[in-house]
Amino acid sequence: MNVLHFFRSILRTLSRNKIRALLMMAGVSIGIAALTILTSIGESTRRETMKRFKNMLGTFDTIIIRPGSSKNRGMVSLTNVDPSLRFEDASAIATQVPQVRQLALVQNAVDIDVKSRDHSGTPAIFGVSSNWLELRGDEVAEGEFFSEDDVRSLVRVAILGADAEKLLFPDEDPIGKTVRIGDVPFIVRGVMVARGAGPAGGSLDNLIFIPVTTASKRLFNRDFLTMLIAQLKDADQGQLAIEQIQELLRARHHLAPGALDDFNLTNPRAVMAQVVTMGSTIRKLLLIVAVLATGIGGIVIMSVTLVGVSERRKETGVRRAVGASRNVILVQFLLEAVFLSCAGGGVGIVIGIGGTQLVSRLQHLPFLLQPEAVFTATLLSIGLGLLFGVYPAWKAAMTDPIDALRD
Amino acid sequence: MIKMENISKTYSRDGFPVTALREASFSVDDGDFVVIRGVSGSGKSTLLNILGCLLSPSTGKYFFDGEDVSHKNDAELSRIRSERIGFVFQSFHLLPRTTAIENVELPMIYADRKINRSRAAEALARVGLAHREHHFATELSGGEQQRVAIARALINDPALILADEPTGNLDESSGAGVMTILHELNGEGRTIVLATHDQAVTAQARRVLLIRNGVLCDSEAAS
Repeated sequence: MNVLHFFRSILRTLSRNKIRALLMMAGVSIGIAALTILTSIGESTRRETMKRFKNMLGTFDTIIIRPGSSKNRGMVSLTNVDPSLRFEDASAIATQVPQVRQLALVQNAVDIDVKSRDHSGTPAIFGVSSNWLELRGDEVAEGEFFSEDDVRSLVRVAILGADAEKLLFPDEDPIGKTVRIGDVPFIVRGVMVARGAGPAGGSLDNLIFIPVTTASKRLFNRDFLTMLIAQLKDADQGQLAIEQIQELLRARHHLAPGALDDFNLTNPRAVMAQVVTMGSTIRKLLLIVAVLATGIGGIVIMSVTLVGVSERRKETGVRRAVGASRNVILVQFLLEAVFLSCAGGGVGIVIGIGGTQLVSRLQHLPFLLQPEAVFTATLLSIGLGLLFGVYPAWKAAMTDPIDALRD
Repeated sequence: MIKMENISKTYSRDGFPVTALREASFSVDDGDFVVIRGVSGSGKSTLLNILGCLLSPSTGKYFFDGEDVSHKNDAELSRIRSERIGFVFQSFHLLPRTTAIENVELPMIYADRKINRSRAAEALARVGLAHREHHFATELSGGEQQRVAIARALINDPALILADEPTGNLDESSGAGVMTILHELNGEGRTIVLATHDQAVTAQARRVLLIRNGVLCDSEAAS
């Protein structure tokens, strides 16, 4: 058999049956495009979720301690904070819990008016201890952070988050300038490097850091904390650390056995794991949808090829009479299906890449094309053609040339 | 060239055996022009299909060029059809949506030989259709279509041409043109076996086999 000519004749057949060819291609394209988009978007969503979590938490080797039972959540303001978490608790945790490497103290609030000379806004105010940078892994872009001495002597210095800087000092260098937080003047000493979006998509940079002691005594006038972040010596011992901290705090707060905790502990790693698990379940579901769509593409190939086989019965009879064996007919129809399925797959991959780009842009996700997705899509296209082409091809091969040629 | 010994063919129809051909024995020499005559349903087509290696006999032996082909498999029979037999059908059977020259090239695809468009063009010229190479089958008249079919049958240079009612769907003058070409091919030394019930065609044969109810009952010389 003349292979080159055989291929040419297959291509000719396909080009002269355009509608059929297009139908088959479309069936596969849709499935493959869906598959490419869903796998790529699924993966970039997963990575983006992890990134945003990391943006918010800085590190994962921490335990977050908040006042109040776990029922009270949400943003803290000056009025709705349970006063159960105190500076003394913080010292006790830092010195008595063996798992804790270091502890960051936080006293934060929202809805406080902040003014520079020309601008104003309400960035979140974070009173924090001086080890914040080290614990969180955050960085200062300009100027410097406050020191332990600054914290001890209650200085009024402010470090601006990147968005707060843009808000208050859009056109000038803020270092050394004054901002009024509430009515208290602070000197700007530094500007933070932008952290990007948090898990919900909001900015993590619209805030101002001040020494926690200054916040407590000179601004909020309260002696309790809104959050403690305990960094662990061993990130894998989160549960143990939680138990140790819980035991200590319950003792310090004189809670009776059976009484609810008046604080709550969060292990970011566990939360993260939960979110990722949920994401991967959704991803699996989407993948099943995409595989189903691709399967439907296969069924389109099969039904269109089957129609083709019966429409082309006479042609098959002629080919058999002039010397094509059953195997040659089988291969011919199979290759037609594989060609179209591959062409459809190719179009599907292109649509998939375009679609991924579009969805990424709309969802503000990084454009991330999974090479495995493209590879799988290619294999799948060939596989679809073979799998769903084999029965029609076999039927064509079994055509009795005498019957086919009888009028 | 062809030798048949006690060839029978039995089909199963609705569970009952039907004998289409009974104990046929005859031989055809190289370069012969043989007409098989019989009414429809007489077993004529069955005989032609066995001769053309499209059908295997139930019993008996079929020698093609001295080789027993009665029980060869599909691939081997396909190869014989491809390289040594040319078919001409009553209703031409050109591929639709395919040009005349592509139709002529078709058997070359399945044969183990070089494809050669100029040979296909020559074959078309041979049947007087050089100017129709790129016309689609549907754009040709019946006579022209049948001549394309003859060119297709010729393309692999077969020793045997089997024609099943080649003039059956043609008007008188087209039919005569086709018969002229077949006679010319026979004159070049090709063996022609032609099935027909047309008296005029029968009259042109060197040898006539008569088939009736599946029995090859008579053999007569026309001239």
